[in-house]
Amino acid sequence: MGYDINFGWTGTIGNVTIGATKSEGGTRSVSYRIGGGATLPFLEKNLQANSPPLIAFELCDNPVYWSPIVRNYCGDLLDDLPEWTKTAEKTYGADIIRLYLTSTKQRNFSDLPAVGKAVETVLSSTGLPLIIEGSNEPKIDSEVFQKCGEAGQGERLLLGTAEASRYRSIAAAALAYNHSVIAQSPIDINLAKQLNILLREIGVQHDHIVIDPYTGTLGYGFEYSYSAMERIRFSALKGDADLAMPMICSAIDSLTVKEVREAEPAVQDEIAATWEFYTGIAAAVAGAEIICVRHPKTIGLLRKAFDSMKTGIAPMGGQ
Amino acid sequence: MALKALDIYKLLPKKNCKECGDPTCLTFAMKLAGGKADVELCPYLSDEAKSVLGATTRPPIRLVKIGVGERSFAVGEEFVFYRHEKTFYHPPGVLFRVKDTQPADEIIAVTKRVRDESFVRVGTELKFNGIAIENASGSVGKFADAVAAIEGTADLPLILISGNTDALRAALIHCGTYRPLLHAATKENVKEMCAIAKQHGCPLAIRAHGLDDLAQLAKECCAEGVQDLVMDLAPVSLGDFVTATTTIRQLAITRTAPELGYPVYLDTTLTGHEDAAIALGIVKYASVIVTSPLSSASAKAALTLCQNVYTDPQKPIQMNPGLYRIGSPGKDAPVLMTVNFSLTFFTLEGYLESTRVPCFMLIVDTEGLSVLTAVAAGKLSETLVRDAIRKFDVENEVSHRKLIIPGYASPLSGRIEEATGWKVLVGPRDAAEIGEYLHEEWK
Repeated sequence: MGYDINFGWTGTIGNVTIGATKSEGGTRSVSYRIGGGATLPFLEKNLQANSPPLIAFELCDNPVYWSPIVRNYCGDLLDDLPEWTKTAEKTYGADIIRLYLTSTKQRNFSDLPAVGKAVETVLSSTGLPLIIEGSNEPKIDSEVFQKCGEAGQGERLLLGTAEASRYRSIAAAALAYNHSVIAQSPIDINLAKQLNILLREIGVQHDHIVIDPYTGTLGYGFEYSYSAMERIRFSALKGDADLAMPMICSAIDSLTVKEVREAEPAVQDEIAATWEFYTGIAAAVAGAEIICVRHPKTIGLLRKAFDSMKTGIAPMGGQ
Repeated sequence: MALKALDIYKLLPKKNCKECGDPTCLTFAMKLAGGKADVELCPYLSDEAKSVLGATTRPPIRLVKIGVGERSFAVGEEFVFYRHEKTFYHPPGVLFRVKDTQPADEIIAVTKRVRDESFVRVGTELKFNGIAIENASGSVGKFADAVAAIEGTADLPLILISGNTDALRAALIHCGTYRPLLHAATKENVKEMCAIAKQHGCPLAIRAHGLDDLAQLAKECCAEGVQDLVMDLAPVSLGDFVTATTTIRQLAITRTAPELGYPVYLDTTLTGHEDAAIALGIVKYASVIVTSPLSSASAKAALTLCQNVYTDPQKPIQMNPGLYRIGSPGKDAPVLMTVNFSLTFFTLEGYLESTRVPCFMLIVDTEGLSVLTAVAAGKLSETLVRDAIRKFDVENEVSHRKLIIPGYASPLSGRIEEATGWKVLVGPRDAAEIGEYLHEEWK
């Protein structure tokens, strides 16, 4: 008789383009168009809409503020931003680079030209599209995002992170230089919607917004994030255009939770990658289309999993 | 489609005989409508009424119990597609797979591990559920010996994996009364497998690729009198698994295809990417998950994901309000106030422990709300903080009068100072930064 699933949904997740190639006015070797889904992740029959989630590798311009686990694994690379970036692309196999401007965490930080330079350094070290995670201090938001926006002009960056109490500077930079914005709300579908409306009201277009519902890491509130993502995806498919944007998942606490931080040195890398992996793949099933990780080993695990999600690959045995 | 209680009531005898255990036919009807009672409890129903009611009042996914005794587990009886619609009720059983070709001491070691290993997270003990033993040798005697070795080591739920009914019969001599799951009935052997399952009262796995074939097998098993079934979807890829399991869940809970209303079985060892399969199985409705004996990394991550996904989203997990000690804090140690949402508590506690600064955590009762939500909902107030300081006698525990509050509670800092007379220091929003904060700000 043929069993088929039919949800009767009418909505579609909107598209967002990240990165710009030469023909698109930038210098990236590749650009991505995410979104477009019309049902649950990994259920699409349309292969075009079924492209796997993107894997973003997170790095930073001042590694003092980075996990010692990454420091142990990557070693001196952390002090060499161009090499770290190149390695993330060539060796680790990331799809996107996400640069955290951790230098802005220093007290009374004022070296704004260095911010623009960090963005330029990463841009010239890789052909991959970029996510830039800006200022850590509201007082300098305006200048920092201005510098980032300018340095990445034409490159269709994804700028982070706008919050309900703090979105004007980032939106201004995105509008001025045609970048997109990450809109983060604290694990709540209504707040996510509200922020998207606020952004729209000051001129940020639908196709320039990526939703970050905030990802609590595995064992530390992940279930709330997982359900927030499912709800957002569901509402979007039911036709709520204010929630019909792609989502990003970044469980930034994954390497600092007790289970990972206190792991035996011999297995710490494995535990770190496993923790990021379980969080990332579950988020992908809930609807996240960009999965951010900090441990290089996680990238390969996610890549292999996403490949084997494609129907017909990786045949499974009998009894 | 589901019937309403009143529609069901019309089909009942309306005798109010109480023989079903309910005081009236109407209360019985209400239970049936909620999937909380079985039509068989009513002795006076006509066969016709039973067939009408049976399909619409039993839980949309059958409850199947595997094993007996303390470690037995039940799966199925789920009602929703998304956990946020209500909750998922029965977390999957995760069983370690061994083969009868392995040396007995290896099999016994894995059995002991499942028997003894546990992790405590958020106050709950997490364990693996049992052993899946495969008849890889093809030998009847070896299979029976391996099962005997497991049974001699622990009382754990078992899955007997063999296509050879003689091997199953031999193994069941050792465990036949303990409700092991038999794997698997296929098109070829369904009658014989049903006979064994029926004889021993065991749950039975059915295995086929394609939902039509699965539904057909399930019908044949029911006709043979075996209804405690789980379904092995024999997926050809992880994507295929996700599609099939999602389809089954949707069709079962909407009662569009009641013949598919059984728990799903997933053997992750066959997938080529075990961690991925485990994670997908957990979030996408697998109820019996077979894995190889996992590394400590995968073991913890898998059980934690299970716990997360099967946490009831309707109930915030709470801590008892009070004054908690990190290390052995003295009279001059810092006091950090936060809410009684357990995740907030455990996260902050973890970071505080790693700072190695002895201190006090003052946990106030926000009814399990997080800091952000408690502030927004007005559940965290200066009077609550003042009363907690009094109730838990904080003024006698420390000689100073300084209180560190969470960054997200900063709007309350002035009012807390006024109400308590303590100096309020606004800490970081993110617990991860508490170590740095204490080292810089706490003099």
